[in-house]
Amino acid sequence: MLFPLESTLKADAKTVAASGEYDIVIVGSGISGAIIAKQAAEAGKRVLMLEAGTGANITLAGYDDLLTTFYSAVSKDNQSPFPLNANAAMPRSPQLRKLQAGETDSSTYIVQSGPYVSDTTYTRIFGGTTMHWEAKTPRMLRSDFKTRSIFGQGLDWPLSFEEIEEDYRLAEQEIGVSANVEDQQYLGQTFPGDYVFPMRGLPLSYLDQQVNKGIEGTSVELCGKTYPLKVRPYPQGRNSIPNPAYDGGKGYRPIGAVDTHQVEEGGRCQGNTNCVPLCPVQARYHSGKTLAKAFAVNAKAGERLVELLSQAVASKVNIDPDNGKVRSLEVKVYKDPASPAHEAITVRGKVFVFAAGAIETARLMLASGLRSTSGLVGRNLMDHAYLLNWALMPQICGTMRGTSSTGGIVDLRDGPFRERQAAFAIDIHNDGWGWATGAPTSDLLELVDDRNLHGADLRRGVVDRVSRQLLLAFMLEVMPDESNRITVDPQYTDALGNMRPILSFTVPEYTMKGAAYGRRFARTVFARLGAQDHTHYDPGDFGYVAYEGQGYAIRGGNHLAGTHIMGTTRTNSVVDKNQRSWDHENLYLVGGGSMPTIGTANVTLTLAAMCFRSSRDILKYLH
Amino acid sequence: MSSRFEAFLGISVELTAFSRFDLLGTGLAERYLATLDKVVGGEITDTLLAAFVALPPAEGEARIQAVRTTILGNELLGDVARALIKLWYSGTWFELPCAWTERFGPRPADTTFIVSPDAYVEGLLWKAIGAHPAGAKAPGFGSWAFPPKIPALPELVSKA
Repeated sequence: MLFPLESTLKADAKTVAASGEYDIVIVGSGISGAIIAKQAAEAGKRVLMLEAGTGANITLAGYDDLLTTFYSAVSKDNQSPFPLNANAAMPRSPQLRKLQAGETDSSTYIVQSGPYVSDTTYTRIFGGTTMHWEAKTPRMLRSDFKTRSIFGQGLDWPLSFEEIEEDYRLAEQEIGVSANVEDQQYLGQTFPGDYVFPMRGLPLSYLDQQVNKGIEGTSVELCGKTYPLKVRPYPQGRNSIPNPAYDGGKGYRPIGAVDTHQVEEGGRCQGNTNCVPLCPVQARYHSGKTLAKAFAVNAKAGERLVELLSQAVASKVNIDPDNGKVRSLEVKVYKDPASPAHEAITVRGKVFVFAAGAIETARLMLASGLRSTSGLVGRNLMDHAYLLNWALMPQICGTMRGTSSTGGIVDLRDGPFRERQAAFAIDIHNDGWGWATGAPTSDLLELVDDRNLHGADLRRGVVDRVSRQLLLAFMLEVMPDESNRITVDPQYTDALGNMRPILSFTVPEYTMKGAAYGRRFARTVFARLGAQDHTHYDPGDFGYVAYEGQGYAIRGGNHLAGTHIMGTTRTNSVVDKNQRSWDHENLYLVGGGSMPTIGTANVTLTLAAMCFRSSRDILKYLH
Repeated sequence: MSSRFEAFLGISVELTAFSRFDLLGTGLAERYLATLDKVVGGEITDTLLAAFVALPPAEGEARIQAVRTTILGNELLGDVARALIKLWYSGTWFELPCAWTERFGPRPADTTFIVSPDAYVEGLLWKAIGAHPAGAKAPGFGSWAFPPKIPALPELVSKA
């Protein structure tokens, strides 16, 4: 798909500041901002989008530079394609270390105030975290919207599944979800009459199939209920084979790579096994695809309705004391990522949308002194807790091939046990132990340096060691807790003088109970598969958590939520069910931060669906 | 081809169990020899190559044992040879162990680095397991659903 050439012209900061009032000013070019920009532009509204990153990756050449950076990076962590930029810094997990009791570590962008150290990340670059997401797109379950009423845990949403269902379909269309309805009808999930996903499901990997062979037909008992085991395919935001039955038989046209010039790649996933951190061909959705549609409206309208100002970091929100509305936004526009030199401009709009992710949006509010009537800005921080379990299968499984994850064990996403412990969804990682151990590089080092293999023995050794790897990643439910939070403090600032986020987090007991069960569950699965368990959790690990006499290394899931939670009143929440701020009627805080709970669904599909809802509310407000 | 480059290819075949064809096919052989020269210096590289050329023309276990005793188990050459194996398999030069540096002196270029973006892509490890480097050389839609095609070990002419 084409970006109109003019969309890549850098908007000029002075022109932006002088151009009077925009209908909508959006902070952040991730999926939330992109959807709202597109919906608004199609309704003829004038939109300014601010992006903290350089915006260089809007062209294919700039995107490919990220890939080259990834190839050249010694540590291939999930932010490795994205160059360092002190003016729009982002968390990077290899920099973390364990904290001593009471200690705060301010050496990384997110100040880790503990006691748990989170390696959660988000990407401050054009396209936001959709530039590095894994693109699994499960819907939340009906029960996930009412966990307080059903299980006495967490909070109820002010929205029901039924109210969001149609927007799920819009989000699935926008992202281009590949899945088969028949594979997604577990745990009571239903789809209306003739609904099909835009594209057919991606096939399960050979590794998934080997695991399934070992467990299908078996079950586990938990709290008096039996759960059958099976490897089920995940719905995915990456291009597969279009389903001709989609949209009442109209079919679906996959959107591949976007650029200012004609480009034909990414129309279908090629199996690069690199969804995270970067799909080399853009077969995986990123929000640039939605923005390309938004920019295309400019050409049709014959005027520039959507403008993108990159290298523009929102710094302070100014409120009109008379009516509580947002009057303007102070923005620092830097010239060069290598220098903190910047000019400060003020932008004005009728409506402001903060779509900078759950941590940056809360940070901007708090740095502006806006805690909200409820005092809940920054609180209730959630992120899925991951517990990794890894083993060697008895047979060669062809690990290291496929998309990052094609299937998993998802039947324990729901059940009465949620009254006492967290639910989980398990991903099978097609890239083997990579996440847990740094495989396959760590295996190579061990085989050469410690096991003294060379020649044919080494070749046989790597096959034996790598091609049998199985990693089960347990994505555990985390419930909202007001003491898990983001704060700011003027003593911790970034290169531009903006306050950095401070993260305080304790993994809730509810989650740890789920983790402890998850570890036992993994051992049961490994036993059924005849797989050798290699899992070990190092007490020196930055994410090490002790629970009931055992230790577990808990990883962040990059599914950030809760920091401007949605609710029914201005005293129990920050935003209403349309993601509009209770306190500031022309301000929308959108994205994962609005979610009162996250269940066991990766958050992007749900927050995308909510942004369609918010778009309608914003347009209504502007009329 | 110079005899020095021939010897470099020869030791690379010996250590990696990939054929000359595979190694030349990466397009990186000259650069890897240049990497050795740059990091540990021409003199040590020449010593390593000479040790390889002087190997007895044995085959099988005897040959493996000779490589172990005269190269991999050599106090000067062993760590360098292991770094060369890792370089071919991953495209990354891994910094030599501290013990080596303490004994033979630090080398300014001896840090952990990727020789070039294509060096990562051409890492032999991926080929050995019938996969592809993450993020490159994609095998095609749906290929992951089938068993891997793990290449058989080539008939290596170790005497060459």
